[in-house]
Amino acid sequence: MALDVAVLVSLGRHPASGRMRPARADARALELALRLPDARLHVIHAGDPAEPALRDFLGMGVAEVAVLDLPKGADPLPALAGHLKTLRPALVLTGQRAEAGEDSGLLPYLLAEALDAALVPAVVAASFEGDTAALQQALPRGRRRDLRASWPLVATVSPSAPAPRLPAFGPARRGRIETLAAEALADTARSEWKEKPARRRPKRLKVIGKGSAADRVKAVTEMQGGKGKLLTDVTPEAAAEAVWAYLVEEGIVRERGSE
Amino acid sequence: MTGDDNKRKRRDPFAERAETGRDGRKRMDRAAPAGDVPEAAEASSGRHSKDPFADRGASGAAGRKRIDRTAQSEDAADAGLEVSAGRVRKDPFAARGDTGTSGRKRVGRWWAPAPVAPAVPAAPQALAERIKTVESSACHILVVPDLDDGRLTSHDRDTLGAARILANGLDGAAVAIVFAGPDGPRDDLDLGAAGADCAMVFADAAFAGYAPEARAAAVAAAAEQLEARHVLLPDTAVGGGDVGRRLAVLLGDRAAGDVQRIAKDRIVRRGGGGRSDVEMSPPRVLLIANEAADPVMDDRYEARAVEPAPFAASPRIEDGGLAATDPNAVPLAEADFIVSAGNGISDWDAFHETAAALGATEGGSRVVCDAGLLPRFRQVGASGTLVEPRCYLALGIAGAPQHLQGVQRCERVVAINTDLYADMVKRADLSIIHDAQEVMAALVRLVQEKRHGA
Repeated sequence: MALDVAVLVSLGRHPASGRMRPARADARALELALRLPDARLHVIHAGDPAEPALRDFLGMGVAEVAVLDLPKGADPLPALAGHLKTLRPALVLTGQRAEAGEDSGLLPYLLAEALDAALVPAVVAASFEGDTAALQQALPRGRRRDLRASWPLVATVSPSAPAPRLPAFGPARRGRIETLAAEALADTARSEWKEKPARRRPKRLKVIGKGSAADRVKAVTEMQGGKGKLLTDVTPEAAAEAVWAYLVEEGIVRERGSE
Repeated sequence: MTGDDNKRKRRDPFAERAETGRDGRKRMDRAAPAGDVPEAAEASSGRHSKDPFADRGASGAAGRKRIDRTAQSEDAADAGLEVSAGRVRKDPFAARGDTGTSGRKRVGRWWAPAPVAPAVPAAPQALAERIKTVESSACHILVVPDLDDGRLTSHDRDTLGAARILANGLDGAAVAIVFAGPDGPRDDLDLGAAGADCAMVFADAAFAGYAPEARAAAVAAAAEQLEARHVLLPDTAVGGGDVGRRLAVLLGDRAAGDVQRIAKDRIVRRGGGGRSDVEMSPPRVLLIANEAADPVMDDRYEARAVEPAPFAASPRIEDGGLAATDPNAVPLAEADFIVSAGNGISDWDAFHETAAALGATEGGSRVVCDAGLLPRFRQVGASGTLVEPRCYLALGIAGAPQHLQGVQRCERVVAINTDLYADMVKRADLSIIHDAQEVMAALVRLVQEKRHGA
């Protein structure tokens, strides 16, 4: 049975050229949605309908992108919540964070509350099993976690999800951008903020609070070289034992059984 | 005295002149001086010469009376002045004490005063054990650490450090909220040393797995009960960032994510896709970025236990547990354990077997990827991927600078190489100088024995 899947997309800037391009996490969300069998896709954007970079989403193989016409800096939440409430999708996919604007990552959570839906963050794979959705979540260090939730569901897609397909020129030209009217509310809290270009934070040196001043200077400036263990003139079996013992001691492999 | 033949009278130049000098003047007899030039003057006929090496006594070179500095300072001997007949010399290598080169009393910040014993630093024990108790506090700052496997991560410590800044600035108490399974938190979880004044522990079976909705509800209940001014969480994707944003929605607050700097009335967070820094007044929920504040090191705080707040949650997400992942399918940038092949590998079947047996992700150096023996996405190095695994096993890799750049952030490196002086051997924490082929075969046999054998 075909389920309605909404994908919320946004745009970002290329770091080197400054050109507008699809936000990477949102492109992965669309890729995930395109891989779902039996899904009716609704791709939604809140912003300027005339933006040429939107065609890249069409180029990925989507027939239509619906754009809620909002000026720059307006809060997209009321318009998006209203549109999605009329659409009633089973699954809403979007990236974890936007690449422009406030970029707080709160929008999916606020939408989930408005739609009374569950929210699952950092998803890399999704499939429908009857009434529930089986999702796989990305954890640090390459681990994955299986989750189950029933729809309606909002899922944010992790940067570890499969890479998005490249946009093709033909579908990008053929696709349609549908403009929908939306009400824009002024964002008053934003006027009190002071925005500046981001400053690169220097990498923090090892922070040693304890000890005297001499200890602290020594801990930071001491050369770490030459502390390794060296084994020469060993048999292969002894070498293998040494490597295994090291791995077990450092907790890289588990001793008993295979995990 | 000479003959009468010459009219001019000639004196005999070699005869004694007596009192009359050449020009006829009366010569002063220096051989018999007045008074105080002592034995030094050699009594000789002729010009009176002083012996330059004899002791001068009270007269200096100019003939003036010399000031006796030996008598002036009473403790001259202690200060290292050599008292000798003659010019008084200071020992330059002795401690100067109060007096600088110009003779003035020195205002010293770094000199050691008269007893020249080295300054004993305050015992670190005394500093660390100084416990601060918080009797009454104007407000409460809640902190919810992530706790990876029950331990505080460095990101958690930074968040607690940020909470400490706020608590000190607003004269509040930092309350750490800990979620644990039914057995409770780990015994070695030291929240006091990390900077928490109070600790609220929720120990329930509901929190054993992944339960962000329950956690958010519990933190919201605690925030309401304690009337928390701020709630701080580390901004991680599935940990504090997730719980914090759910909490912000529950509290109706516009949370600030990726906070870079924190002060009691201003924060700086990153926005616009990481391209702009936004300075604003802090909202209630703050999601702290990594390394935003220094962890608490010096003082010890009392993590006084606080009764957990009652809460109600209806979770909609079911935790299915950790999925079994194929280590080779994990992208190299995220991999936890990497086994890497270099030019010294000739037995490729053994290499693939080794990586599979150890459950590690395969990687390779540039030489190997250029030769097509491993795909390009497996390349580790400056032109490949910069990797950050917990352990990196380098087989037959010499360790070119660009490759070492790729492994720069790696914690532990094991190198197996035939070259003793290779750079990879210098970098490694454990190095074995042997042919990689034989060691790989032995390692595969050993792992099979451990796993399926006895």
